Amino acid sequence: MDDMEKVDQIIDKYAAKGSGSVIQALLEIQREHRWLPREVLQKVSEKLDVPMSRIQHIVTFYKAFSLAPKGRHEVHVCMGTACHVRGGARVLDAVENLTGIKPGQTDAELKFSLKTVNCLGCCALGPVMEVDGKTHGKMAPARAEEVLKNYE
Amino acid sequence: MTKINSPAELEEYRKNLRSKIDPNKRLISLCSGSACNASSSAEVATAIESELEKQGLAGSVEFKRTGCHGFCEKGPIIDIHPEKICYFNVAAADVAEIISETIKENRLVERLLYTDPSTGEKIAHEADIPFYKNQGRIVFSSNSKVDPKHMDDYLAVGGYAALAKALCEMKPEQVIDMVKEAGLRGRGGAGFPTGKKWEFARNNPGDTKYVVVNADEGDPGAYMDRSLLEGNPHAVLEGLVIGAYAIGANQGYIYVRQEYPLAVENVNIAIKQAEEAGFLGKNILGSGFDFSVEVAQGAGAFVCGEETALLRSLEGKPGEPKARPPFPAQSGLWGMPTNINNVETWVNVPVIINNGANFFAAVGTPGSKGTKIFSLVGKVNNTGLVEVPMGATLKDIIYKVGGGVPRKKKFKAVQTGGPSGGCIPTEHLDRGVDFDELAKVGAIMGSGGMIVMDEDTCMVDMARYFMAFLTEESCGKCVPCREGIRQMLKILTNITQGKAQMSDLDRLERLAKTTASASLCALGKTAPSPVLSTLRYFRNEYEEHIKKHHCRAGVCKKLVKSPCQNACPAGVDVPRYVRAIGAGKYGDAVAIIREKIPFPAVCGYVCVHYCEGKCRRGELEEAIAIRELKRFAVDHDDGSWKKNFKAAPATGKKVAIVGSGPAGLTAAYYMAKLGHSVTVFEALPKTGGMMRVGIPSYRLPEAVLDKEIKEIEDIGVTIKTNSLVESLDELFAQGFNTVFVGVGAHRGTSMGMDGETTPGIVDGIDILREVNLGQEVKVGDRVLVVGGGNVAIDAARTARRLGASEVSIVYRRTRDEMPASIEEIEEALEEGVEIVYLATPIKAKKEDGKVKVKLIRMELGDVDASGRRTPVAIEDSAFVKQYDVLVKAIGQESIVPEKFGLALGRGGRIKVDADTLATPREGVFAGGDVTIGPASVIEAIALGREAAMAMDKYLGGEGVIDEVLAPPEGEPAAFNAEEAEGEKYRPPVDMLPVEERCKSYAQVVLGWDAERAKMETARCLRCDLEAR
Repeated sequence: MDDMEKVDQIIDKYAAKGSGSVIQALLEIQREHRWLPREVLQKVSEKLDVPMSRIQHIVTFYKAFSLAPKGRHEVHVCMGTACHVRGGARVLDAVENLTGIKPGQTDAELKFSLKTVNCLGCCALGPVMEVDGKTHGKMAPARAEEVLKNYE
Repeated sequence: MTKINSPAELEEYRKNLRSKIDPNKRLISLCSGSACNASSSAEVATAIESELEKQGLAGSVEFKRTGCHGFCEKGPIIDIHPEKICYFNVAAADVAEIISETIKENRLVERLLYTDPSTGEKIAHEADIPFYKNQGRIVFSSNSKVDPKHMDDYLAVGGYAALAKALCEMKPEQVIDMVKEAGLRGRGGAGFPTGKKWEFARNNPGDTKYVVVNADEGDPGAYMDRSLLEGNPHAVLEGLVIGAYAIGANQGYIYVRQEYPLAVENVNIAIKQAEEAGFLGKNILGSGFDFSVEVAQGAGAFVCGEETALLRSLEGKPGEPKARPPFPAQSGLWGMPTNINNVETWVNVPVIINNGANFFAAVGTPGSKGTKIFSLVGKVNNTGLVEVPMGATLKDIIYKVGGGVPRKKKFKAVQTGGPSGGCIPTEHLDRGVDFDELAKVGAIMGSGGMIVMDEDTCMVDMARYFMAFLTEESCGKCVPCREGIRQMLKILTNITQGKAQMSDLDRLERLAKTTASASLCALGKTAPSPVLSTLRYFRNEYEEHIKKHHCRAGVCKKLVKSPCQNACPAGVDVPRYVRAIGAGKYGDAVAIIREKIPFPAVCGYVCVHYCEGKCRRGELEEAIAIRELKRFAVDHDDGSWKKNFKAAPATGKKVAIVGSGPAGLTAAYYMAKLGHSVTVFEALPKTGGMMRVGIPSYRLPEAVLDKEIKEIEDIGVTIKTNSLVESLDELFAQGFNTVFVGVGAHRGTSMGMDGETTPGIVDGIDILREVNLGQEVKVGDRVLVVGGGNVAIDAARTARRLGASEVSIVYRRTRDEMPASIEEIEEALEEGVEIVYLATPIKAKKEDGKVKVKLIRMELGDVDASGRRTPVAIEDSAFVKQYDVLVKAIGQESIVPEKFGLALGRGGRIKVDADTLATPREGVFAGGDVTIGPASVIEAIALGREAAMAMDKYLGGEGVIDEVLAPPEGEPAAFNAEEAEGEKYRPPVDMLPVEERCKSYAQVVLGWDAERAKMETARCLRCDLEAR
């Protein structure tokens, strides 16, 4: 359980910084483990001395956190204004059709997790889609398939 | 690096750095900002490094990965110094050539240069490219010179000099005074004076104070902060330390969105470097001032851009805003006095300290000083980051820097200020952009997002989009924001789905006002702005959605079956008839068309085909040739539509139609079908109105028109030619229950030119009418036609057929602005018509039996209210030419007899209720060119349909005219690329040979055979199936 060891290291690192760093701790765990299992939250609660109720409030308030396992590939379709006026919604439709899932969902094979995001700051290249952190600009519904078929 | 302990040591270090820089040494600077990275900038970087090595230039040519150059759409971007040659859209495969050609041989690689879209000219140097040329970069100026990961680059361009000056030469109060004097206001959007804010924080008692960089850039469509933080992180740090010194804070935080990983990375590297060099830490530059800074990441909550929410988030809590006062300057982070400024604000601080308050205040407007960076995005040619002086007009930003709207689409609005801002329409494009000016028109400058929208953007959908965004982002703490936004979203969603009532608009407005006044923080207070501003300027679009269930932009999915059908004024089901043609069922195809219009053949020959302009295939390669397909279907019609045709039993009501043009005959057709007794009165000896006398028969053969008019007569419509109606009273006296006036627009508009009544000057529309009525017309040998519409082109082509050997068209704008359809222009040119752009006649007189015309050259000036550039006369450019005849074709007016007793507007047009086409006079309706001015056949048909519905209701009927004429389609097959055999473009159309054309009025376009028609149907993407 390499992953979990790393998570423990992260928790220990932030435990030293105190309860104010709880969001930064959770973000780093999220990046490492890609979702936040309940036992991890409990550990954070104990080690950083933050009540579990507040941790629950935080992880449900901020959109960066996931309380369910993610697919192997995270697909983010930008819904920023610039992407929207250039047809971002049609790109999202195409991605939904191709993956068979809606934003916020993960498919049964745990291949893709789909999420809409507000603005990736690549407005000049809109519509934009991000897969596992790689940005794909100037998307069109027809290009979504080309991009997604490269992921296994 | 060793620690720098004093300003003197810093200058020594800098001197040493600069001495090693050879200004003539070749430098390749590659943009490595996020946008360019998304366009594979990293691969280009690798290629440059290996290619320099390979070509033996590794030591003699320098290579830098810099921050964002701003012209993000054209990335990856390479600048080659010292010449400042710019290459755009560079791929790794281009690198070898750039190095062997430009670096080694001083030759340009043409294909990578910027191409001016208006002139097609290639531009090599940054300073000459309109996108850069028309900016005024101060804050952004070092971005393309600095590798953000190398502090030495920043030091070489003068970095940290302001820090040394502020900390070692100035008292904190002096720093504050200078910032106040400069007039710097917060760039995050609220525009609060920065110096004053610092002063509050300084004067509030407390041993511990904090400074914060707000880099939680959440406004969708704005990314200048990202670019600064990624591209020039040391400038942010330098500003921050100066501010901390002025306020008396020893600890700072940079709060960055976690969506900006490169910004986080670069700023962390910069902090480490600055600590090592002694720009951060204890006793900075020997001044005795201590300061350290930490990076915290946002976790994806828009509301955290609000300062009180951001501070709570920094404290490790959910980012819910607090009521102010107390302001952060009094009680901020952990209850201590805290000062928060936006990234761009901090970057402006070193500029002010280095150059003085006067330098800064010299730029901008009285209330807003300095420059502002905008992210110019959306439907604009040059998208990217743009820095201009405060007060630059929207028009200059969008057109001069941005290059206008792509693909000849029409500008509709620009959205500024993100979800707190508003949509500004064309009439306010002259406004200068600063903190105060845009607020007057219902928007705000905000943090600098500027999203350009064109005709394909639905304004109701935009409002809905922002409410959907804010519903998600409202933290939910206060009810007006949480519930107000949600309810607005609900109403807006209903409108976009055709499920709303007109009364919903009032409810929407009330909700918007309540939300604005009662919400706790700025998120809720400004949330209704997108709704209010679109309601203010685009209420007609809201009403269209509600009353007609029509989304003119073709965006609202529930109201739009396919873009082509949506674009058709009469709503013809294009994809369905295209499929019928593909299946060889030509009769079915015509029946489908006839379900909406009684003139399928006329439209097949001459329709202006708005449908093709919106065809999605056109976004890929070339739009489907919809009109040509329609023409093919009508040419092969078996008349099977008649099998399902049903007329209602006679109602005993009498309907008079004045004018037998497309509007009148369409109204007549549907009224007769509904069982009314219809008589059409036509003043001319022939029927058809403009279809007959406005369109030459080489485009629309008489027999085609005759056949369609006969179908209308066959269902019982009586048409009386040579019957001029002079008074409507007469008609009512004859027992008609209702009257439709569709008399068109048959009189040419005056040009207001000196000598316009000179003999030999005639109206284009008169020539076309006379020729079509078989009268004798003489135009002589040399003809000048003035105008740029289809009438001008038709008059010119007709003049060629009347024997003129030299026919010129003069148009005051350029071909891009010409309203005539492309096919017509091309055919005219083929027939030897010359078109002179950018000129206009100003004077004419008769001399030696000729018309002597003085013309003047024009150039395109500023953009006007319609979004087009206004032609302006060039001084001393007049020239004189002689013609036998000058033909005016710049527009038409209507002639409506006074005795009709109708209210008339501009161009003699009849004023009607937009929904019912009813005139103020009881029982009288009007439509067509006579209500909307010279338009197209299909628009007249659409108005004829609307009039029929309204008149039937007036007579007590249901007003239902839609009919089912075609058999059901069955299960249609989706688009199949194989079936289209990879064809990307239209098959060629048979044409009459050019040398034959001017000899007669024979038809020019001869059409397709069945094979080509079928091929073309295969290219259709079947967008309508997607919507099912």
